[in-house]
Amino acid sequence: MAIEDMAFLIPVLPALAFVLTFFLGKKLPNGGAIIPIIAIFTSFVISLMITLNLLQNPEQVVSQSYNWFAILNVGVLIDPLAAVMLSMVSFVSLLIHIYAVGYMSHDKAQPRYFAETALFTAAMLGVVLSDNILQFFICWELVGLCSYLLIGFWFEKPSAASAAKKAFLTTRVGDVMFLAGIILLFADIFRIFNGSIPEGVYVLRFDEIFTHIPEIAALNTQIFGFEVSHLTIITLLFFGGAVGKSGQFPLHVWLPDAMEGPTTVSALIHAATMVTAGVYLVARTFPMFLAAPYSLLVVAYLGAFTALFAATMGLVMNDIKRVLAFSTISQLGYMMLGLGMGAVIGVTAVGDSLFHLINHAFFKALLFLCAGSVIHAVGTQDIRQMGGVRKVMPITFATMLIASLALAGFGIPGTSIGVSGFFSKDPIIEAAYLFGESTENWVPYLFSIVAALLTSIYIFRLIFMTFTGKPRTNYGGHESPSVMTVPLMILGVLALVFGALTKTGFGKFLEETFANNFVNMDIHALAEIGKYHLASHGAGSEPLLILWMPVIVAIAGLLISYLIYGMRIIDMSSIVSRKNPIYKLLYNRYYQNAIFTQFLAVKVIYEGLALAGRAIDRGFDWTVYLIGHIFTEASDGLRLLQTGVVQNYATSVVTGVSLLIILVKLILEVF
Amino acid sequence: MLNKHFTIMQILTSVYKFFRPRIAGMIVAILFLAIVIISIGFTNWNTVDQIPQNPMDQSNIQGIGMLIFTEFVIPFEILSIVLLATLMGAIYMAKGDGTE
Amino acid sequence: MIPLFYYLALSAIIFSIGLFGFMTQRSGIRMLMCVELMLNAANINLVAFSSYNGDLTGQVFALYSIALAAAEAAIGFAILMSIYRVRDMIDLNKINVLRW
Repeated sequence: MAIEDMAFLIPVLPALAFVLTFFLGKKLPNGGAIIPIIAIFTSFVISLMITLNLLQNPEQVVSQSYNWFAILNVGVLIDPLAAVMLSMVSFVSLLIHIYAVGYMSHDKAQPRYFAETALFTAAMLGVVLSDNILQFFICWELVGLCSYLLIGFWFEKPSAASAAKKAFLTTRVGDVMFLAGIILLFADIFRIFNGSIPEGVYVLRFDEIFTHIPEIAALNTQIFGFEVSHLTIITLLFFGGAVGKSGQFPLHVWLPDAMEGPTTVSALIHAATMVTAGVYLVARTFPMFLAAPYSLLVVAYLGAFTALFAATMGLVMNDIKRVLAFSTISQLGYMMLGLGMGAVIGVTAVGDSLFHLINHAFFKALLFLCAGSVIHAVGTQDIRQMGGVRKVMPITFATMLIASLALAGFGIPGTSIGVSGFFSKDPIIEAAYLFGESTENWVPYLFSIVAALLTSIYIFRLIFMTFTGKPRTNYGGHESPSVMTVPLMILGVLALVFGALTKTGFGKFLEETFANNFVNMDIHALAEIGKYHLASHGAGSEPLLILWMPVIVAIAGLLISYLIYGMRIIDMSSIVSRKNPIYKLLYNRYYQNAIFTQFLAVKVIYEGLALAGRAIDRGFDWTVYLIGHIFTEASDGLRLLQTGVVQNYATSVVTGVSLLIILVKLILEVF
Repeated sequence: MLNKHFTIMQILTSVYKFFRPRIAGMIVAILFLAIVIISIGFTNWNTVDQIPQNPMDQSNIQGIGMLIFTEFVIPFEILSIVLLATLMGAIYMAKGDGTE
Repeated sequence: MIPLFYYLALSAIIFSIGLFGFMTQRSGIRMLMCVELMLNAANINLVAFSSYNGDLTGQVFALYSIALAAAEAAIGFAILMSIYRVRDMIDLNKINVLRW
C-alpha cells in the first residue's frame, strides 16, 4: 500500500482517538493521553513521508476525490503547501500532547482535555488537506468549535466561559463572511457553466475554481457606483473569514481573552495552528487573490496595521500569556503582510509567508510552552510578581531565550547564521520594501519595521522581568518534569536551526504548488488580471542598510529593554503610570473593550438591532397568529357541519351528485 | 261533523304542515328527479325493435331457471351463503345477550 | 308498445320518492322501507333493460338483487332492534354520537 493511499488516515486517526479517549479516557492513566499521542504520531509519520516524497518529485501531488453528492465531493489534496502545513501541525500537536501529559497532570478533566485536543488536531488536519472549499469550511467550523470548547475548558471560571463565548462569536462574524464568499463563488461558477454541470466535475474543488478565475474576474457588479469584480468580492469575503480566524484587526479582540484556556491550548490552537488557518486559507486561494484587483492590497495593509497595532499593546501587558497573545496577533499580521506582498513578488509571497508561519509555529509554541512551564512552577501569570526564575528553571530559561531571539529575528544578513525567525521575517520586510520601491507607498514597510522594533522590546521586557533580577515574591518554583522539558528542547532546537536549514529550499518547494500542478495559467497572467505589477527583480538586491535594518531594530529593541528592565538605568515610573495618556491608552488596549462591548454590543447590537428585530419579530408573530386564528375559527364553525345524522349526510351526497352532474353537463356544453 | 271541518283550507294547511320541515329534502329530491328524467329523456337508448311476442308462452321463467343453474350458478351459490350468513347475523343481533 | 322511457321514468320517480323519504323520515323502519323503494327502483331498471335488449341476464340479477334486499332488510331490522334495546327508540335523528 503506497503511502499516498494512507493520506486519508491523517485526519481520521486523531478523530478516532477523540472517540476512544472520550469514552475510555477515564480508565487509562493520564486521562488516556497515550491514544491521541499514538494517533497523532502516526499521522505525523504519514505526513512526513508524503512530504519527503513530494520533496523529491514535486509533481506527485496526492489528490483523491470521492463523490459526496451531486456536484460536491470529499477529497484529499496534498501538494507542497498542504504537506508542510500537515507536517508542522501534526508535529507541533504531537509535542504539545506530550507536554500536556505533564502540564495537565493535576487536572481532573484530563480525558475531556485530550479528547478535545485530538478532535481539534483531526479538524485542523482536515482543513489542511481539504481539496475543496466546502470541506475546508466544514473542518474550519469544527476547528472553531474545538477552540470554543478548549478556551472554555475551565468553564467553572466565569471569565473562561465568557472568553470562550467571545471567541466563538467574534470568529463567527468572519465565518459568516467566508460562507457568503463560498456561496457567491458557487453561484458564479454555476453561472459560468450555464447551470448545467457536466458529469464528474466537482465545482468547489480548488483546481476547478482556479480554472475559472478569469471568467469570475470578468464578472462585475456595481457597488456604490464602483465597478467591482466578483473575484474581489469573493476574495475579500474569504479574507474576512481569515481575519476572524487569524485575529486580524478588527476581529482580533477574542485572541487575548482566549488565554483563559490552559496554556497548552494557547500554544496549540492560539499560537501554532488554528490562528494560522486564516493565513493558510489566503495562501490556499492565493491565485484567486492574485487575480482579484485590490484584494492583496487590503490583505497587505490590514496585515501591516495589525502587526504594528498589536505590538504596541504587547508593550504594556503584565500577563505573561497576554503579551504572547498580542505577539501572536502581531506575527499573524506579518504573515498577512507577507501574503499581501504577492502584489509585488507574485507567488514567492506564499513561500515567504508560509515559511514565517512554520517558524512562528515552532517558536511561538515554544514561547507558550515555556510560559506554561513558568506558570506551572510559579503559580501566577503576572510578570511583575516573577523575577529571577532563571535560577530555578534553567532549561526553561534557555529555551525561552532561544524562542525570543527567534521572535525578534536575530541573525546576520547574507549568511546562514541566524535564528529561524530571522530568515522568515526578513523576506517579508524586504518584500515590503520592494513594494514601497515599486509603488512609492512606504506605509507597509514603515509599519513592519516599527513593529519589528516593538516586538524586540516587548519580548525582551518579558524575558528580563521574568527571568532576571531577584524574585519579587515568594514563589518557590522548581524545574518542570522531563515530559515537559523534552518537548521544549526539541522545539528549541527547531526554533534555532529550522530557518537556517531550510531557507533556500522552502520557498522554492512551495512555489511548485501553484507553478506546475495547480493553475493552468502562469502567475504573470493572473497578476495581469488583478492589475498588479510584479517587480522584475526579486528580493535581495536592496541597499545594505535595508538588509540590515530588521537586525538593527531588533538589537536596538534588545538594548532598550535591557536598559529599562535589565539594568534599570532609565526610570520608567514616570512613563508607566496611569496618568500618562499614551500608557493608559495602550494599557486599556485602545479601549477596544469599551468600544466593542459598550458601544457595539450594547448600543448597536442590543438596543438597535435586537430591539428592531423584536419589533419585526412581533409583526411576524402577529401575522402568523392571525392566520392560525382565522383557520381555527373557520374550522370551529365548519365542524358543525358534521352533525352525525345519517340523513344530513345522505342529503349532502345527493345534492353534491346532482350539482356535479349539472356542472359536468354545463362544462361539456360550453366546450 | 267530519265534512264540516274538512275544508280546502285545512287540507292545504295540513299539506303545508307536512312539507314545511321537509322542504330541503323535497327540493333535493325534485332536483335529483329532474336531472334523472332529463338524462333519461335525452339519451338515445339502444333497444331491440320489438319485444318478442309469444302469445302462447308469455313466461320466461324457464329461461331464467336455465340461466341460474348454468351460467350464473356460482353467484347463486355465493348468494346462498350470503343469505345464510345474514340470517345468522340477524338472528344473533336480534336475539340480544339473552338476559331478558 | 310501451316505450322504454316510461319504465325508466317510473323507476326514477320511485327512486326519488325513496330518496325523499330517506332524507326526511325519522323513524328507522320508515327509512329502511325507503331504502327498499330505492332498491326496487333499480330492479325495475334492470328488468326493463333486460326485456328491451332481449337478454335474460338482467332479470336473473333482479332476482338476486331481491334476495339481497331480503338479506339487507333482515340485517337492518336486527340493527334497529339492537338500537331500540339500548336507546328505547329508533329515531335515527337522535343517533348522532358521531357528530363533531
